[in-house]
Amino acid sequence: MAQIHKTAIVDPRAILGEDVSIGPYSIVKANAVIGDHTCIGSSCVIESGASLGRECVLFTGVIIGSITQDLKYAGKTSFVKIGDRNRIREYVTINLGTEENSETIIGNDNLLMAYVHVGHNSVIYNHSILANGATLAGHVEIENGAVVGGLSALHQFVRIGKQAIVGGCSKVVQDVIPYARADGHPAKLYGLNSIGLNRKNFSLELQALLKKAFKILFRSQLPLSQALSKLKDQYQDTVEVMDVVRFIEKSSRGICR
Amino acid sequence: MTKIHPTAIVDTGARIHHDVQVGPHVVIEDDVDIDAGTVVMAGSFIARGTRIGKNNRIHMGAVIGHEPQDLAFHSDIHSYVHIGDSNEIREYVTIHKGTKEGSSTHIGNNCFLMGASHVAHNCQIGNHVILANGVLLAGYVDVGEHAFISGMVAVHQFVRIGAFVILSGHSAVNKDIPPFMLAGGRPCAVSAVNLVALRRGDFSPERIEDIKKDFKILFKSELNKSQAIEKLSKEPPNEHRNLLLDFLEKSERGLCIASGLKDRA
Repeated sequence: MAQIHKTAIVDPRAILGEDVSIGPYSIVKANAVIGDHTCIGSSCVIESGASLGRECVLFTGVIIGSITQDLKYAGKTSFVKIGDRNRIREYVTINLGTEENSETIIGNDNLLMAYVHVGHNSVIYNHSILANGATLAGHVEIENGAVVGGLSALHQFVRIGKQAIVGGCSKVVQDVIPYARADGHPAKLYGLNSIGLNRKNFSLELQALLKKAFKILFRSQLPLSQALSKLKDQYQDTVEVMDVVRFIEKSSRGICR
Repeated sequence: MTKIHPTAIVDTGARIHHDVQVGPHVVIEDDVDIDAGTVVMAGSFIARGTRIGKNNRIHMGAVIGHEPQDLAFHSDIHSYVHIGDSNEIREYVTIHKGTKEGSSTHIGNNCFLMGASHVAHNCQIGNHVILANGVLLAGYVDVGEHAFISGMVAVHQFVRIGAFVILSGHSAVNKDIPPFMLAGGRPCAVSAVNLVALRRGDFSPERIEDIKKDFKILFKSELNKSQAIEKLSKEPPNEHRNLLLDFLEKSERGLCIASGLKDRA
């Protein structure tokens, strides 16, 4: 049985799951989808085109599915898709995609702290943490388990690799490779995200191996293409190193060094 | 006579003084205290466990006492936000309650928290503190009285900011800033004594000279931290030197670097 506060405005065409709760003065528009057991706080706005999975918690003033902050946007239908068990804190804004039928996507189990902005067509995978005021421009991609520090801004099309961390107040204009630690204005790479990897129970052997791979990439004086082939030869059986290789091969903006 | 707008939603378990004004669309949960003369403006949200003193002005959309942004927190924990008297809390400020059972986030008196600034769980903010727009204090940050934190500054968890410190805009602070200093940048570095605040704070010229001397011992000499503390403790004691020494002795995260050393950091 949905619990909808009497002051909330929920369009009858909105699709609500079981046991959804919607707080005071929140607005849920037509065709918005809200999954089972999801809890929406006060004064939130869930626009048409937004869908939320199960067991998400939205705090005060969250706005999901408002139109993109992109001058090219022509008013076409586009979407925001949010998975399960995400915690979305006060005043977070998540925009629709720009092109027709395109999507901004958030996976499962993410924590988006207060004032975070997720721009159009960005993709956040699972288990990531975005600290207060982290700002994602359009088409940003954040892989599993990454952490973005408070007030950091990510340029459009930037990708953050899995289990990587970006320090607070950083300006990130190029991709941050998986398992790495980046920080600064503009962000530079500072080696392995060892605290994060320890917390995720990566063995010390594996961390040492990744460090060696980073050294081949950044300290061997080899051009990137040769360093990548060397990694492919030496570490073809190590999934994590191959993650890094594949990530770099897909990079369009270049990588933070 | 309490002036509660008819669209405000105030739980019957909230204890609101009769001389409080509550604006439209405000939500106030149970177990909230709001004392005389406080004004809560439109769209604000005051969560359970919040204690607000006298004559505060809480502007549009502020969220006070909500759950901490800490994965270790769970909703069965009872914790608090204590706000003193005569604070100005501007639009969309967020102040979160403590993360451990019975713990609290504390804001003193006469503080000014500008728009969209954030005070995380278990922060302790002294009196007359100013946070400019978008300031981000992570968990357990301690801010001394009369400190001024400029716009968009991020402060790492457990960092302590001393009394009468000024931080320049867009700084990223990850170590303790001793009292009376001017610091800023990325990484944050101490570059001088906060003379403006000392003059405004009616510090005598002799006392200002003493503080400048202490600054030189700490940040402009070749001494390491423990040597500098030892040297400071041999100087003739005064109220402010004692405050500085006390701050240094309690520093767990270590001190912010001196600006000359920035390139080495």
